[in-house]
Amino acid sequence: MRLALATLVVVLTALPAAADPIDDSIKQRRAFFTLLGANIGPLGAMAKGEMEYDAAQAQLHADNLGQMAGYNPLPHLPQGSSNADRAGKTRALPAIWSNLDDFKSKFSDFSNAVANIKSEAGKGREALGPAVGKLGGTCKACHDDYRAKDF
Amino acid sequence: MRQGKAGSVEEVRIWDPLIRVFHWLLVVFFVASWVLGEFGPAIMTLHIYSGYMICGLLAFRLIWGLVGPRPARFASFLAGPVAVARYAISHIGRREPSLWPGHNPLGGWSVMAMLALLAVQVSTGLILDPEDYINVGPLAHLVDIEVSRTANAVHATNAFLLLAMVALHVAVIIYYRVWKREDLIGPMIHGRKRVRRD
Repeated sequence: MRLALATLVVVLTALPAAADPIDDSIKQRRAFFTLLGANIGPLGAMAKGEMEYDAAQAQLHADNLGQMAGYNPLPHLPQGSSNADRAGKTRALPAIWSNLDDFKSKFSDFSNAVANIKSEAGKGREALGPAVGKLGGTCKACHDDYRAKDF
Repeated sequence: MRQGKAGSVEEVRIWDPLIRVFHWLLVVFFVASWVLGEFGPAIMTLHIYSGYMICGLLAFRLIWGLVGPRPARFASFLAGPVAVARYAISHIGRREPSLWPGHNPLGGWSVMAMLALLAVQVSTGLILDPEDYINVGPLAHLVDIEVSRTANAVHATNAFLLLAMVALHVAVIIYYRVWKREDLIGPMIHGRKRVRRD
């Protein structure tokens, strides 16, 4: 009985996921970037003075980014999930898959910038500013080559 | 000065000092904006300042197009389709100076096209959001993220249209110099140009 129930639960949760694994991958990685943005946003706002600087809050978001920078997003980037394959659903350019090594190296640039902001975020607004700039620069470098401007 | 049957040819001042300063400042800040946008630092503060300058220059040109000296006024150089067609068919190919007192009927619309593209470029620049948290347009918070995203795409595409229009502009100036033996750069520097008075 317990086995049957467990099987049922597994099948039911797997069913919607099985509907289209590519679309699911796209949703998963977009969720990853949404979460990244939710943590970079407040850091950027504090650096620009749009939000009052709070050392603990800044450190929290930087630490969250630290967790996420250690995550490997490649499982959510299967072949056939570029914006050429799934127009309107993703802005991931096919260039990602033809330059995978460069793509990975840009992600590790991002990870390095995150490590930097982790050590700077709690030191005051003056220290946060350049760290946010460096981080944003690694965002831009990858977006310029691998993300379409619009869906 | 020479008198002829087709009207007298004389050198007159057609471009006032402000329109000349406007033109060359626009050259400087157009090049600066383009280079900073394409090859500049990841934090595009200088690109944005350069864009503000172009925004101000456009505002000046709009006002000058309404109340400035005659050759600068839109009403004086925006010709109808017949005049444009006549100039394009029978004037532009001729191997002789146009002696036109200002923007010719075709050139006038080219000016308007460049100003319109620049206006698009400045306004999309103000509201775009590339979602990198450092280069957000200063007015992006006033519009939806979907609008900001579209503005970002338009800003990138329109930059190439602008570059194409500027390339055409420079090419035509060279064509006038080489084929029609008419210098259009000098008048934009010292303001004086040989024109035909009918």
